[in-house]
Amino acid sequence: MKPAELREIDRPWRIWASVIIVSILAFSVVFGFLVLPIVQGRAAGLDAFTAICRAVGILPGSPAVKQPTSEAKAQPTTQVAWSTDLMRTFGRRTQAGAEIAQGCVACHGEHGIAADPQNPNLAGQSAAAIYKQLHDYKSGSRVHDVMTGIAQGLEDRQIVEVATHFASSARRDLDPTTAEVVDEDVIRLVERGDPSRGLPACNSCHGFNAGGPIETPTLSHQNREYLARQLQAFKTDARRNDIYTRMRSVAVKLTDREIERLATFYATTLSY
Amino acid sequence: MRADTEQEILKTELWWTALVIAIVTAIMLAIIYAGVVHHINPPSNIETIDPKTLHLTGEFTESNLGTRVEAGDQVTSRVVATQFAFQPQCIVVPSNRTVTLRFATPDVIHGILVTGTNVNTMIIPGYVSQVHTVFTKTGDLLMPCHEFCGLGHSQMWATVRVVPEDQFRPGPDGRASCDAR
Ligand code: HEC
Ligand code: HEC
Ligand SMILES: [Cu+2]
Repeated sequence: MKPAELREIDRPWRIWASVIIVSILAFSVVFGFLVLPIVQGRAAGLDAFTAICRAVGILPGSPAVKQPTSEAKAQPTTQVAWSTDLMRTFGRRTQAGAEIAQGCVACHGEHGIAADPQNPNLAGQSAAAIYKQLHDYKSGSRVHDVMTGIAQGLEDRQIVEVATHFASSARRDLDPTTAEVVDEDVIRLVERGDPSRGLPACNSCHGFNAGGPIETPTLSHQNREYLARQLQAFKTDARRNDIYTRMRSVAVKLTDREIERLATFYATTLSY
Repeated sequence: MRADTEQEILKTELWWTALVIAIVTAIMLAIIYAGVVHHINPPSNIETIDPKTLHLTGEFTESNLGTRVEAGDQVTSRVVATQFAFQPQCIVVPSNRTVTLRFATPDVIHGILVTGTNVNTMIIPGYVSQVHTVFTKTGDLLMPCHEFCGLGHSQMWATVRVVPEDQFRPGPDGRASCDAR
């Protein structure tokens, strides 16, 4: 067929398609900007003209209702507020960071890997998590006999430096004999959560690159005793520096047995 | 059946076009019905709030959330939607009384609906979402997050406990919570 003939076949399609689209558009304009505003405006006590102007966007909507001010303070949750400027400061490892880290060796180990399993490993922890915890110790949002004093001795800049330092250290190696041991029930909690209890999967926040809250700490390669103690602390409200009860609301739903098994899982099993 | 003539291909195409048009029309009619009969419309209250400091300043700090009876006997309930839970996870409200629900989020876009009611709104970082409503049914209503907000989205839901008006007893500070009853 010649192009001219083809165009002849196409013609009615083109015309009808245009007619249909234009009529849908016209219907939407009439319905959305005239009919709906008039019908809904009547119920809200607006006259037709005002309702239409508001629908079109010429007049503003209802002004914000002035809310009663609240004197509620954030204490003791946290004083940390994430901003892109703050995130950008977690840059490269500096000499200053390494020097501050010398003061942590006694408890957090030579390379951020603690010898005593009651103390947390810092090596490979996310910089944002370390920053937030130190900041919280300093402001009193999280309380610990030793760490509170240590954090109070650090300036904001030093907290950033030491956080960056540990974040770029290599994590503790896992014991190869336990790394592959799998506990099915716990895997389910870690990867799927428990919908009947409204329990989100741990790894929806703690998983590698999961996209949960910025300050979420890495749990894998952490020490078992430390993890279990923190979960108990969240559960009993002894630790309450998590923004909007993110961790407390999870931990209260866990049984003591589950806490033990979850701690073992993250401390020993090869995950993410 | 093999469609090998021009006619047959055309016929199949028209059938599928008709089917798609029918589905789209049905959806549009449902939306129009909801708009006209149930008065479902986008919120007109535009109010901004800084998501970075939501937990630090004023209205949406942890201790100020939940239901509170305020000046003029107005019942207001404040809820924060955060990955992957609502805070608080249960709010209590009286039935047959105008209730104002105010939502905000510090992280990503969430959305809520309260089952069996006309409450349905998006919760967008930077804005306060406000809904005025009257609950007529008593009981525990489910309030799920209906906007995918991350891996834990499917476990994100809260409860709206609607109690008869005479059983709604806020404390001396005007606050009412699910635990207290
Ligand atoms: C005397 C021992 C000791 C020293 C020294 C010490 N820490 Fe700690 N640190 C601890 C203990 C114990 C904990 C666990 C506290 C708890 O349970 O709340 C802890 C917790 C932390 C945490 C929280 C970890 C997490 O995963 O939440 C950070 C961050 C931290 N320390 C950083 C440091 C830094 C940085 C230094 C050095 C400037 C340091 N610590 C020096 C004992 C110490
Ligand atoms: C909604 C996201 C979220 C979910 C789901 C979640 N967590 Fe957390 N978790 C956090 C955040 C955020 C923190 C840091 C709290 C803070 O700001 O101090 C945390 C902290 C922790 C800590 C303390 C770690 C440390 O270094 O101090 C442990 C242990 C923990 N979570 C275990 C779990 C377990 C086990 C689960 C699953 C049952 C789980 N979490 C589910 C967000 C989550
Ligand atoms: Cu959500």
